[in-house]
Amino acid sequence: MTRLLSQTETELREAAQLAVELAGRRGARARASVHHEAIAKIAARGGEVETAERSGSQGLGLTVFHEGRRGSASTAGFDRAAVERVVAEAMLIAGHVQPDSDADMPAADALAFSGPAPVLYADSPRGPESLLDAATTMNRIAINIAESDDRLRAGESVAAATEGLWALATSDGFCRSAMRSNDMRWTVMLAHDEGGGTSDFCQSQERRVDGLSSAEQLAKTAADRARSALGARSLDSRRCPVLFEPRVAATLVGELAGALTGTAQHRRMSFLPDPVGRGVAAPHLDLHEDPFEPLGLASGGFDSEGIAGSSRAILRSGVVEGLFLSSFTARKLGMASTGNADGYYNLRLSSTAESGDWHEMLQMLGTGLVVTQFQGGKTDPASGNWTQAVRGLWVEDGHVVHAVADVTLAGTMAAMLNGIRAVGRDVERMGAIRTGSILIDDMRVGGRA
Amino acid sequence: MNGGALAIDRARARLLDAAGLDDAAIARALGELAGGGADLADLYFEATSMRSWGLEGGRVTQGGFVMRQGVGARAAHRGQVSFAHSADIRESALLDTVRAVRTLERRGETGRHSGGIALDRRAGGHDLYPAVDPVAVEDATAWIAILKRIDEQARSHDPRVVRVDANVRATDTTVLVADADGLLAGDVRPMTILSMVVIAEHNGQRARGQAGLGRRAGLDGFDTAEIDAMVATATRMALNNLDAIPAPVGEMPIVLGPGYPGVLFHEAVGHGLEGDHHRKHLSAFDGKVGERIAAPGVTVIDDGGIPGRLGSLGIDDEGIAPDRTVLVEDGILTGLMQDRLNAGLMNARSTGNGRRQSYAHLPMPRMTNTFLANGTADPADIIASIDRGIYATEFDGGQVDIVTGRFNFTTIEAWLVEKGRLVAPICGATLIGVGHEALRHISMVGDDLELDSGMATCGKQGQSLHVSVGQPTLRIDRMMVGGQAG
Repeated sequence: MTRLLSQTETELREAAQLAVELAGRRGARARASVHHEAIAKIAARGGEVETAERSGSQGLGLTVFHEGRRGSASTAGFDRAAVERVVAEAMLIAGHVQPDSDADMPAADALAFSGPAPVLYADSPRGPESLLDAATTMNRIAINIAESDDRLRAGESVAAATEGLWALATSDGFCRSAMRSNDMRWTVMLAHDEGGGTSDFCQSQERRVDGLSSAEQLAKTAADRARSALGARSLDSRRCPVLFEPRVAATLVGELAGALTGTAQHRRMSFLPDPVGRGVAAPHLDLHEDPFEPLGLASGGFDSEGIAGSSRAILRSGVVEGLFLSSFTARKLGMASTGNADGYYNLRLSSTAESGDWHEMLQMLGTGLVVTQFQGGKTDPASGNWTQAVRGLWVEDGHVVHAVADVTLAGTMAAMLNGIRAVGRDVERMGAIRTGSILIDDMRVGGRA
Repeated sequence: MNGGALAIDRARARLLDAAGLDDAAIARALGELAGGGADLADLYFEATSMRSWGLEGGRVTQGGFVMRQGVGARAAHRGQVSFAHSADIRESALLDTVRAVRTLERRGETGRHSGGIALDRRAGGHDLYPAVDPVAVEDATAWIAILKRIDEQARSHDPRVVRVDANVRATDTTVLVADADGLLAGDVRPMTILSMVVIAEHNGQRARGQAGLGRRAGLDGFDTAEIDAMVATATRMALNNLDAIPAPVGEMPIVLGPGYPGVLFHEAVGHGLEGDHHRKHLSAFDGKVGERIAAPGVTVIDDGGIPGRLGSLGIDDEGIAPDRTVLVEDGILTGLMQDRLNAGLMNARSTGNGRRQSYAHLPMPRMTNTFLANGTADPADIIASIDRGIYATEFDGGQVDIVTGRFNFTTIEAWLVEKGRLVAPICGATLIGVGHEALRHISMVGDDLELDSGMATCGKQGQSLHVSVGQPTLRIDRMMVGGQAG
């Protein structure tokens, strides 16, 4: 039973079908996507509620296809007048863009009229009272931890819950919908010493409350992270091995996946041009995509064109086996849609090379830099030139010596992917991506000298 | 231009009349909203529509239209904020939203407002931008003609230009703010943004250039000379980047060109001077008001009242006209940017910096147009003063960690400088530093202040807003540069 939503799946499906029907009366084929999302969020600080919010969003997006041309328009209101306006605006746009046969709707036989629909919703306590308890309890635990160490001060603790509905209808008679839930907790810890202040946080996100990390675990991890960042200093510029903690390693996996999307490929803005069948990463690496994982944060039975994804290898032994394609980018590349019009589903990076838990990975690093945070930087999608300002830890003989700040890391994505020596067993999930820590043998660190 | 006086009438028509609401209904809703004894309670009505066209490789490939509206209701009691919003603004939905806030507040009926709140205060007008709706221009040919001109100009510039993408996006945002102190204020905020990307190719190398123009105006707010200058900027950047060499690594002096590089002051100074970060003692500048934080000659200002700029507002999202706030004066920290909530809790007054991404978001202290004021140095002398370092003219955004003051920026157009001369363009260099340290190392400030071209956006706690940034050419004696060379 939903706790937050004010509209029903049936209402959303009807709104989507109405938009498609009104477009049909104007002689156009169409696809309509309707979403409704409700959010409750409580933030606590100093043991008390600081903000209490009920929010959310809703929208209807329509794409019409008329005489080889495509037009899109959207509205936040689902009433008939709003839907009629959106149909008129989408038709107006379709009247002015140039025809492109690659931009047509996918063939009806490619649509997932039926098929596996992963569970994306779990009933959980999500009312404001439950969240208030969760946030204030977590905040009190954080305050208790901070009281045991005069360098620490508890920041905000937040509990948030989202419930959402999504419906998709097309003029081929496709009409499916899905209900989703999402629960989040995070807590912030500040640390100060004579050298200055720093802060860090720890967060947990699941589709059900009982899958979340405990308040104690979140507060303790945030405290450990903030404390370990104290006394940070720069390094002299050098080349050395680098170990990326799982939460930053996931960003690297995301960069790899981004280079394999249809948009990057057909616009030739990918550092991995024509990659299928080519070895692009160390040969001990596999990357697997699974759209159907129950309660997966990036699971789905079909994309926003109505096409299902599949459980498949993206990388096998470092060789690219698949791209992330919509029907549009697939046609541009002379391939078939992979059901990835909305990007990638759940991804898991794994390795057959020697691995270990976090401490074993530190031993494998030996002497080098652990990266705990990316602070900002840039990847040039075309060349793969990669630079990041980072925060981390300097390690010698497998032992942490001091915290590091004010350094940059630079490399090229191609060399970095081939230079991965190991992936840790310390696997964490960051949104769609699961990976352990990633060890790269040789990178350029830019520091003070 | 009379943007303010017309605005309230347009806002009423667009938001209230369409939903069958009148002042009495708003007064009743506010009375209920403030009924728990709130010391700050307000309603924020917003209607936004957006129209866009996109040209890729000489073909019109995209068009878009978006419309949304809604109301956000907020009540605060001693710093505890309760908030709810609705995409439906008819009276029954408005009252449901207000009741949701009261439920979140968990306070009984402590303040009585039988009959509601009398709306007897009005905000003044302004001349910052016209109360026009740029989205109302339905004739697509006018929009597409500009994009085609951009495409043709960029291609004819140089045979190495292989691809041009150009976009135009016009937005109309109409807002109405009503609060429990009796204020009713409205604003109509037009915005039009032209943007383009140029890809150049030569000898197997591909490089990218980008540029844009943004104004609080309709399509008629741009003249052809400005558009030509935008095309020249994007094309020059792509061609320069074809020849870029790896960026140097290490600590060195840098020169930042005028305009967008002023994002340094937005990140390294501005965010640390937002009232909420001070109230919560999170800012690296906490407790330093009145102290020297920068070299003499460094004056940083936030001014929401510059005509036509995307950071400008006739009223902020709490109904208050933005100030011109001197944040740093000749190196001394002099001012903070405040919204009503944080000002109230810090015994200060709002500086009109209360901004929100939409009705569905809570307002916070946010920047408007933030810039470093002019100095006296000749920009050419500043470059000539560098023995070995870099000269950066365009960045791709930046970030700051409020608590530590650490910031970073990545260049998209920069040069290696040796013996006072530009040697070669360099690939993306990341500049990193700590705000208060970088400020002390500013040694030369030029006399060529420019604001950015109108493409600057600012993110804070998940909310994105348009702002302006700016500066004259300046020299910083020590900055960490991270790149691929060495």
